[in-house]
Amino acid sequence: MQPIRDFKPEQFGLSRRQMLQNMGAGFGSVALADMLAPSANAATSPLMPRAPHFAPKAKRIIQLFMPGGPSQVDTFDHKPLIAENAGQRPDLVNRKSLRNTKNGLMPSPFGFKQYGKDGMWISDLFQKTASHVDDLCFIHSMHTDIPEHAGAILMMNLGHLQPIRPSMGSWLVYGLGSDNQNLPGFVSMSPRAQARGKMANYGNAFLPGAYSGCYVNIQQMHPDRIMADLKNNYLPRLAQREQADLLTQLNRIDLARQESDSQLESSIEAMEMAFRMQFAVPEAFDVSTETQNTLDLYGDTEYAKGCLLARRLVERGVRMVQLSLSIDGYDIAWDTGHGDIAGGHKRLADACDQGISALLTDLKQRGMLEDTLVIWGGECGRAPTSEGQKGRDHDHYGFTVWMAGGGVKPGFRYVATDEFGLTAVENRVHVHDYHATLLHLMGLDHERLTYRYSGRDFRLTDVHGDVVHDVIA
Amino acid sequence: MFRILIIHTALLVALTPGQLPAQEPEDPSFTAEDIEFFESKIRPLLSKHCYECHSGKSDPIQGALRLDTRKALTKGGDSGTAFNADDPKASLIISAVKYQSFEMPPKYKLSGTDIALLEDWVTRGAPWPTETADSDNPTGEDINWDSLKTKHWAWAPITRPSLPDNAFPEWTMSPIDLFVGHELKANALSPSALATRRTLIRRVALDLTGLLPSPEQVEEFLSDKRPDAYEHLLDRLLASPHYGETWGRHWLDVARFSEGIGGFNDNQHLPHAWHYRDWVIDAWNRDLAYDKFVELQIAGDTTGDYNNAIATGFFALGPSYRSDGGDPDSKAAAQIETLDDRVDTFSRAFMALTVSCARCHDHKFDPIPTMDYYSIAGIFQNSPTHVTPIAPAEQVKIRNDAKAQVDNLNKPIGALDKKIKDAKDNATDEDKQTLETLKSERDQAQANMPPDYPNAHVLREGGNGNMHVALRGDLRKQGDIAPRRFLRLVAGAEPVEFTNGSGRKELAKAVTDRNNPLTSRVIVNRIWMHHFGRALVTSPSNFGTLGQEPSHPELLDWLASELMDNDWSIKTLHKTIMMSSTYRQQSRFREAEFAIDGDNKYLWRMSPRRMTIESWRDALLQATGELEWRLHGSSHRDIANARQRTIYAASSRSGEAFPSDTFLRLFDFPVMRATIAQRPSSTVPQQFLFLMNSGFMIQRANHFVDHLHRHSTENSERIEQAYRVLYARQPTEEEINLGVSFLEASAGSDDVKINRWVQYAQVLLSSNELMFVR
Repeated sequence: MQPIRDFKPEQFGLSRRQMLQNMGAGFGSVALADMLAPSANAATSPLMPRAPHFAPKAKRIIQLFMPGGPSQVDTFDHKPLIAENAGQRPDLVNRKSLRNTKNGLMPSPFGFKQYGKDGMWISDLFQKTASHVDDLCFIHSMHTDIPEHAGAILMMNLGHLQPIRPSMGSWLVYGLGSDNQNLPGFVSMSPRAQARGKMANYGNAFLPGAYSGCYVNIQQMHPDRIMADLKNNYLPRLAQREQADLLTQLNRIDLARQESDSQLESSIEAMEMAFRMQFAVPEAFDVSTETQNTLDLYGDTEYAKGCLLARRLVERGVRMVQLSLSIDGYDIAWDTGHGDIAGGHKRLADACDQGISALLTDLKQRGMLEDTLVIWGGECGRAPTSEGQKGRDHDHYGFTVWMAGGGVKPGFRYVATDEFGLTAVENRVHVHDYHATLLHLMGLDHERLTYRYSGRDFRLTDVHGDVVHDVIA
Repeated sequence: MFRILIIHTALLVALTPGQLPAQEPEDPSFTAEDIEFFESKIRPLLSKHCYECHSGKSDPIQGALRLDTRKALTKGGDSGTAFNADDPKASLIISAVKYQSFEMPPKYKLSGTDIALLEDWVTRGAPWPTETADSDNPTGEDINWDSLKTKHWAWAPITRPSLPDNAFPEWTMSPIDLFVGHELKANALSPSALATRRTLIRRVALDLTGLLPSPEQVEEFLSDKRPDAYEHLLDRLLASPHYGETWGRHWLDVARFSEGIGGFNDNQHLPHAWHYRDWVIDAWNRDLAYDKFVELQIAGDTTGDYNNAIATGFFALGPSYRSDGGDPDSKAAAQIETLDDRVDTFSRAFMALTVSCARCHDHKFDPIPTMDYYSIAGIFQNSPTHVTPIAPAEQVKIRNDAKAQVDNLNKPIGALDKKIKDAKDNATDEDKQTLETLKSERDQAQANMPPDYPNAHVLREGGNGNMHVALRGDLRKQGDIAPRRFLRLVAGAEPVEFTNGSGRKELAKAVTDRNNPLTSRVIVNRIWMHHFGRALVTSPSNFGTLGQEPSHPELLDWLASELMDNDWSIKTLHKTIMMSSTYRQQSRFREAEFAIDGDNKYLWRMSPRRMTIESWRDALLQATGELEWRLHGSSHRDIANARQRTIYAASSRSGEAFPSDTFLRLFDFPVMRATIAQRPSSTVPQQFLFLMNSGFMIQRANHFVDHLHRHSTENSERIEQAYRVLYARQPTEEEINLGVSFLEASAGSDDVKINRWVQYAQVLLSSNELMFVR
């Protein structure tokens, strides 16, 4: 392995431009190894593992994405003063840009209990996740730019309000490569509906196409149909091999006529890789080999299935898995909080709590939590004041995310929002800072992970971002 | 002069509104703490509560009072200064928010906290940062615009270079070869021999028309004994209507052409987009002069001819971001991103300038101040998108009138219908009779209604105002006025201000002015790139100082001069390029040359290239005899079953709305979110999954087998025909033998669902030789 900064494609007879061209850009799937070098020299594959900038605390990320804005004060940011001041409208919550929150403070409809060594208060929505509280590292002081889902979701997943930049997962695979050359380096999954913004949330934008995430719909999932045209419906394996051999033979005759051409060689290699993928990909997505204990641990919700697949994928070397929650095909699931926090949030938490808890247990049992970073959160939070009678509107001034494993302080809370939970007032962490921190945990300096495009060097954090060292163990 | 003026109140009262003192007083100095206080507490407060009515963006500006610069605050509005420096707490702004003088904001009173913050602020002297504090030089005052021409090759004027000595006399056939030969020799390289006619006709046909030459056309060319047979071939292909389908597509990449649906806040479908696509195809086919081509795309709507208005689809088909919540931050973000698309596409597509880098701060590397960004943005701010009929006014009127007639009849019909239904058994015969009469009148009118006229997405004139510089790219933080005018990088220190409507007409002329050194260089470079696979300037949409230097600077300028001297005729340029030996070289690998110049920067051979997805799909359909040759028309989404050329496939801005998007993207079709300088050519396993396993390939293979079986009953003859159709050559004996033995091997087990011939045809259609151009 070579450090990314010293990676010289010239050593393989290729200019950097050529290499990037060959790696391609702009399609939403994966690109795998050995496509460039005549001798299948591993170091020339766009997905080959590359050394980080410095020793990483985490090697892979599982993002449990909660689009739509889960309410912090009904989940993990306990604010008892809301109940004491129910119906009031103190100055602190009197912020104009909140869109529909002219009413007073609304107490959480959920009970809160204390968990873990420090007795942290967590609502009854996440009782199973709460049992892991001593492994979780909360950031209660998140904030973002705007209170609209599309922009804020994109901000969370690609650091920009419009869908014109590479996603975080694409940046990670660009920076670090992947540990499995027969699987995508970055997989995005969700049941039924993709998170709003769809491909932008896992797309490569202007990065080479090899770094795009590959999307899998868990609901429709069948191991043979994870990727388009994965299975051959016309020929049994041996006959297909024979046909592939003929193609290779004719392509080699053609190559000999040209004498040498790295593009033609890449093409022959890529065909062989495709042949292997037909079998490696279904294997990774086939959960039938899991023990009954494991299956029981996760339970049978769709999101839990995604959690189990996430573990299987990172176990096989995938760099990042993004697992978005959706329910009833709704692409910003947690936004059901507008009308009814009690009912809406309950259904959503029920849909994911056990799966998340099982994932944490499973990773820990396998010794993988140490270098796997699990992150949970949405793109914004919800205001402590009420919208209508029972709902809450968006809050981008302050919200909560948590991280687990991968070098973060376990059982830690980074605080805080004001006493009603609306605005991050201390230790404020912007999404850019969060990204800088995640990259740092992965061994990447967010200011050095750059890509030259359209006249300038772009970064995940644009021109912003400070690593939050306080949350790092 | 653009630095913000801080005016003593005492002086101000002596002046009539709008007048400025002759002497600029010193800026009062505020501490960093004061400024931080303003930025964190006061600016957001003013922005949220006051700017709807009291900023440069307000329409109208209530009471002529603006509160978005300190200058405006102290200047005040109709009721005088809003800030009293001598007695801050008596300032109008304070009494107004306390509801003591005015009642501001009118709909609600500010909280006590906010009022206290404002009082604190005015007491501190109303600290406000110097408006340009975050930017070294947003106005460009310190740039010596006249000396730029000598600083960077792309800013320098174009002069027709003299021709170099002939380094390879036996090889040289055109001035281009002199320039290329010169560089080859200087780098210890030598050119390759000319390609065979077989190779050439396949190369030229795919290059100009994106289609394979038929076996008959190949034979005809091979047996053409005229000395100028090659030139005749070029002329024939340049005159083909399929030329515009191929080269128009290259331009559509630059235009980031799509049918909208960018997702979420830019999710409108643009159903008439295809008219712009067809306009482009036609423009290339009729060899519309490139300067006109550019001008019409910028300002075609101002010519009064609706056909020209279609050209402004170049901009109108770009993203138009909206805000779903309507809160001010989100609205401003949406608006500025939309404008950024216009500025970015305009500057990179036509002039290879990355003006969009100057949106939040001066361009770090090129002489493009933020002021100049907003000079251009202001023009597009005045140019809203709009759907317009593209038919004669008379035709539109007749149709609209006829439609109105039908609509007018439908209203009483509806009412009467309801009346009769409500009355049930009591409905009168008279009513029933009237209804029948009305209905028959309506049906008659409907039958006589002429067909609907087509529409297009265009720009229209929508104002003549200037924008302010948006500080740090935030529209809600206004800096100085940015007069609408051309970039000073090209126009010099004092560009003429644009006064004609939006300014687009003047902008268009400025772009195509012969003295603009960029427009002609940029297009000849793009044309060159599509002929050779590598541009002379390998950053075709960035000629700035961070772009690449031209590999052949004199050749670039020679081509640009040729283009302009030939009235911007692109077809003439093609021919000039394609008649050269440089273009006609073989593509064979040469070890010694490769060792020196592996990138083929100096053109010691023709670089072998992979087809675009368009050419490749079209070639498959052409080979199997399925291609539908029809030009133009609305787009097809079901690409797997459509038979028209690939340029007519629907593509969305998000790259995921249509089935055709997925198909296209698999083979490097870019997501059309921003102007595309050059497509990548990638080789990834997913493409081979498609070739091996997709129903599309099996169908093509079946059709190809049908074609071959109609041709002959002999396997060897069928194989020969396959090679002629796909690769424009005869197979070797080895290749025939491989084919025959594959075909004659046993069929295998029962679960083999396609026969040997289909398997074999699939292999030939999946081969590198089909996909590559040499």
